[in-house]
Amino acid sequence: MAIMRYAEALNAALREEMERDPTVFVFGEDIATYGGVFKVTAGLAEAFGDRVRDTPISEQALTAMAVTAAMTGTKPVLEIMYADFMPLTLDALINQASIYNYIWDGQVTMPFVLRTQGGGGVGTGAQHAKSLDSLVAHIPGIKVVAPVTPADAKGLLLAAIRDPHPVVVLEHKLLYNTRGEVPDDQGPVEIGRARTVHEGSDVSIFATSRMVLEAEKAADALAGDGISAEVIDLRTLRPLDLGAITASVAKTNHAVVVNEDWGFCGYAAELSATIMDHAFDDLDAPVERVAALDMPIPYSQPLEEVVIPNADRIAAAARRALA
Amino acid sequence: MATPITIGAAGGEYMESVVVVEWRVKPGDTVKAGEVVAVVETAKAATEVTAPCDGTMGRILAEEGAEVGVKDPIGLIGEGELDTPPAQAPGVTLPAEKAVPAAPAVPRKAGRVVASPVARKVAAREGVDLEALAGTGPRGRIKRRDVEAALRAGGAGSGAASFAEEAGPLAVTRGGGGEGAPILLIHGFASDAMVWRAVERALGKVRPVIRVELPCHGQSPKRRIGSFRELARAVTEAVDALDAGPVHLVGHSLGGAVALALADTRPQVVRSLMLLAPAGLGPEMEGTITAGLCRATRVESLAPWLKRLVGDPAIVTEKYAAAAMQARADARLRAAQTALAGVLFPDGTQAMDLTAALSRTAVPARIVWGKADALLPWRHAIAAPGTVGLHLLEGIGHMPHVEAPETVARILQDLIAAAESGGPR
Repeated sequence: MAIMRYAEALNAALREEMERDPTVFVFGEDIATYGGVFKVTAGLAEAFGDRVRDTPISEQALTAMAVTAAMTGTKPVLEIMYADFMPLTLDALINQASIYNYIWDGQVTMPFVLRTQGGGGVGTGAQHAKSLDSLVAHIPGIKVVAPVTPADAKGLLLAAIRDPHPVVVLEHKLLYNTRGEVPDDQGPVEIGRARTVHEGSDVSIFATSRMVLEAEKAADALAGDGISAEVIDLRTLRPLDLGAITASVAKTNHAVVVNEDWGFCGYAAELSATIMDHAFDDLDAPVERVAALDMPIPYSQPLEEVVIPNADRIAAAARRALA
Repeated sequence: MATPITIGAAGGEYMESVVVVEWRVKPGDTVKAGEVVAVVETAKAATEVTAPCDGTMGRILAEEGAEVGVKDPIGLIGEGELDTPPAQAPGVTLPAEKAVPAAPAVPRKAGRVVASPVARKVAAREGVDLEALAGTGPRGRIKRRDVEAALRAGGAGSGAASFAEEAGPLAVTRGGGGEGAPILLIHGFASDAMVWRAVERALGKVRPVIRVELPCHGQSPKRRIGSFRELARAVTEAVDALDAGPVHLVGHSLGGAVALALADTRPQVVRSLMLLAPAGLGPEMEGTITAGLCRATRVESLAPWLKRLVGDPAIVTEKYAAAAMQARADARLRAAQTALAGVLFPDGTQAMDLTAALSRTAVPARIVWGKADALLPWRHAIAAPGTVGLHLLEGIGHMPHVEAPETVARILQDLIAAAESGGPR
């Protein structure tokens, strides 16, 4: 068991898979020589040479290239520097990557991994702090994972690379330097399984990505009021672990959903509707949604703190559910 | 006073901490603003840290190799200790989200119960009437805890929680006219004295009419009844209190069973006995109908069950159903009837057996039963001894006095005439 930074755990996953499978290659902007803005790919160019490529700034071309590479027998892992640039990738993702396996009746596989990072919290401005989770989770044919712990960062990236379908790995800029235990033999983590962070009996908090950490803080605060909150890290945004969600709601009868993306038409809306579709009779109050406020993410940090969900807002939502 | 050396912009974005790699100055050295004093390593790169002002290097707070937070000072320029804490970002207060007004619960619209889905589920399972509960959730919403509190307050058991026991005599109303032994009417389960209106109209004012309402029905008190025997005793006491002399007794359904019990224990006050689709002559019944009647809180959910009670569903008009619901609007009344049903019809079975009483009866008696009765099978009438006349009505359901009042009135008049022609008993 080693204590690793989240970025190191991702690096370890890439390294192991490149060693294990010669068809895996990594490319993106500033990822070879510089090692990536967040140092996730540090040292890989030295170890794997041409299989780690710096590319020009053209997310659109890079994604189209990844689709073709995946169709023709290799396993591309593309890094898009900021989730904010994801709109440039969407034609290849939506009109190519997500549908080819389907329209060619399984004759084409698409072992394509797109890594990107999103989220705010450090004053990087409206063009570098978005969480566009719903943008990709909306598309059938694309899997979306969002690891929170270093162990899951390694395990889910391993699973993503081995998956024959396109997988978007949503990382978070504030998680790269967090540390956690990663078992020496950490293998792939099954895509589509939620993780119960801790059990509770009064209210279920379903959170994604860094919001899991805020949910944990909220649960601690709620515990001080004698409220037992169950925190569930969804880990995979699509496909959803419906069984874990309904089982938890059946136990607590109250649900709070937390996602850093915007609320309107957002991922939290999908979670909320899913809970009402599948667990309506177990609800004792409307599902509470916690999401970013409906505006661009401010550059000013004090303002950004207001816009992005935090533990206080999650705890307040839990209290409203239990009112 | 000392000035802190902080990582500042050198920490870069997304960093919570850095590692001090090297100090370029030592305590006592003279430093100039902007001069490189230390090197720190971030997750991105090694970065130089510069002096914030001119002065003499003071204490080093983070030795080489130490990991420090990006906002923490790593050393001081000048003598003494750091006495001004780092400035905090101005606090911004989040506007309250969806604040729940502290106003008292808004009165609920009649016929519309505001309850959470799980509260409805638990209430349905436990037989708790939601309308009898006060919700403690936002805007008076009934939550699971309210249902559970009601169950705890009333103990386990269906509907047991939702009404308070009342004292006092059974409701008795009078009508009709004319002379002679009065007709005493006892309605059925989930009904009341109003149900006799059509028959009374068909009879005309030839006889005094006395209507008794069963406990937990109409204007009678809501009592906790433990058995059919208790129910029959309550009615017997009411009839005794009337001191009306011999009566022509008419009972429908559950009221028929009660009438039979009354005739069995007080044969001296019963001149004749007419049983309309009486209960107590066999175990079978369609329990879903009684359960549905008890459960219904709105016209929409009551009407389908009312239609099951009659041979021709067209009789149950919207107006009829609305009037029936109006009569059942009191949630405590419905809760009391639910509790009574739980005692009399456990698991959808007629728990009382009056076949022996029927075979013993010596008063002139007749049974009227609709052959389209969906609640109680008309074949139970065959349990009657040969001295009891049977009138089986084609196409009529469980409510012959509603569906065929003229026929019922005519049979009743025949029975009264026959009973009285035998002379005073």
